[in-house]
Amino acid sequence: MRCKKSFKKLTRIKKQKYHKIFYEVHKKYGISKKTLFYMKEYGPRTNATKTIIKESVKILILASLISSLGGFSLEYMKAIILHLAPILIMLPAFNDMIGDFGTTISSKFSTFLHESEIKGRSWLKRELKKLWLQVMILSFITSFFTYLLSLLISIISNYSLSFSIALKVFIISILDTLILVNILFFVSTFLGFRAYNKKIDPNNFLIPITTSIVDFGNMVVLSFLVFIFF
Amino acid sequence: MKIIDKNFKEMMFSQTFSIIGGVIAGTFLAIYTEKILLIPGMLIILPGFLEMRGNISGSLASRLSSGLFLGIINPNKFRTRIIKCNIIASFLLVVIVSFFLGTIGLLINYLVFRKLILEIFFIPIIAGIISNAIEIPLTIFLTFHLFRKGEDPNNIMGPIITSTGDITSIFSLLISLVIV
Repeated sequence: MRCKKSFKKLTRIKKQKYHKIFYEVHKKYGISKKTLFYMKEYGPRTNATKTIIKESVKILILASLISSLGGFSLEYMKAIILHLAPILIMLPAFNDMIGDFGTTISSKFSTFLHESEIKGRSWLKRELKKLWLQVMILSFITSFFTYLLSLLISIISNYSLSFSIALKVFIISILDTLILVNILFFVSTFLGFRAYNKKIDPNNFLIPITTSIVDFGNMVVLSFLVFIFF
Repeated sequence: MKIIDKNFKEMMFSQTFSIIGGVIAGTFLAIYTEKILLIPGMLIILPGFLEMRGNISGSLASRLSSGLFLGIINPNKFRTRIIKCNIIASFLLVVIVSFFLGTIGLLINYLVFRKLILEIFFIPIIAGIISNAIEIPLTIFLTFHLFRKGEDPNNIMGPIITSTGDITSIFSLLISLVIV
């Protein structure tokens, strides 16, 4: 009876808290803590479906809400955007591309912060500068590549494209990417340093923050640039 | 300082992959503009709908990868309890999030644009179910296949899911428009 009660208590432990039994089992039987944790969450006597839904649904709804707010600014510019085939073609690609940059910057910066404990601050500065240069070069190349592809597809599908529209779309694509990548870099480093100084692991919250910035920011910056140039 | 190193090349590869997928999805979006985007409120739900696919399938691939690496999931067995639970959870999550997206679209349309268009509520739900029916088996199959080949699915599945997710999402939106 007592054992049953203790077991019930154990199953209610929040995932953030590793119970001491994890360490004891890990020590005694050599089973990794990761395996024990995975078994606790999705093991044979758990309701894995419920666990997955419970842990994911809030963040997914929040992400959808943020994206919808970004989409709201696009809806306002709909009349113009619908007539700009290259912008429409670039839209999903830009969202993916800048989102990937956000994930890369956040995860790399988090790793740099941990490594700087051993390698020192001057190493961190050097690595950050290198990452910034890499991301800037890559974002320029990839946005130019996306622009070229979208232009090519527009021409093939008989979209009447004047030189001035092509030039404006080029400026919008480069500006949109560079503005967002720099915002992402600033937010990641600023919040990352603050979290690290407070002894919080930046890995746990930098990625959701940067992806939310991309979801909302990309739509708003793009709509704003379309509004200015057209 | 060496800028073009292994990291740079890896980032370039994954970006190229996701750009191609995104451009294909964007091309369909541009071709079928009149069908998809002329419905008021579609641009409100579109970014969230495209993102939902990547978020749900991405988490699914990552959970399966962890299970495979830890030896809890057998790479040669598909019909196990843990995989069934993952499939059901992913399906239910899509329905819940699509329902939420539809409600947001309907509310914003009504409150801001003073238009009551019921299609905007049903389109994401139907499209979500259709795209899930394609994307979930694809994610499971590719994660297992990559693991069996000795690759780390965590490094490869991200760009694959975002690219294929965009394309299947646009296709499913088109099919749901025909149904609605």
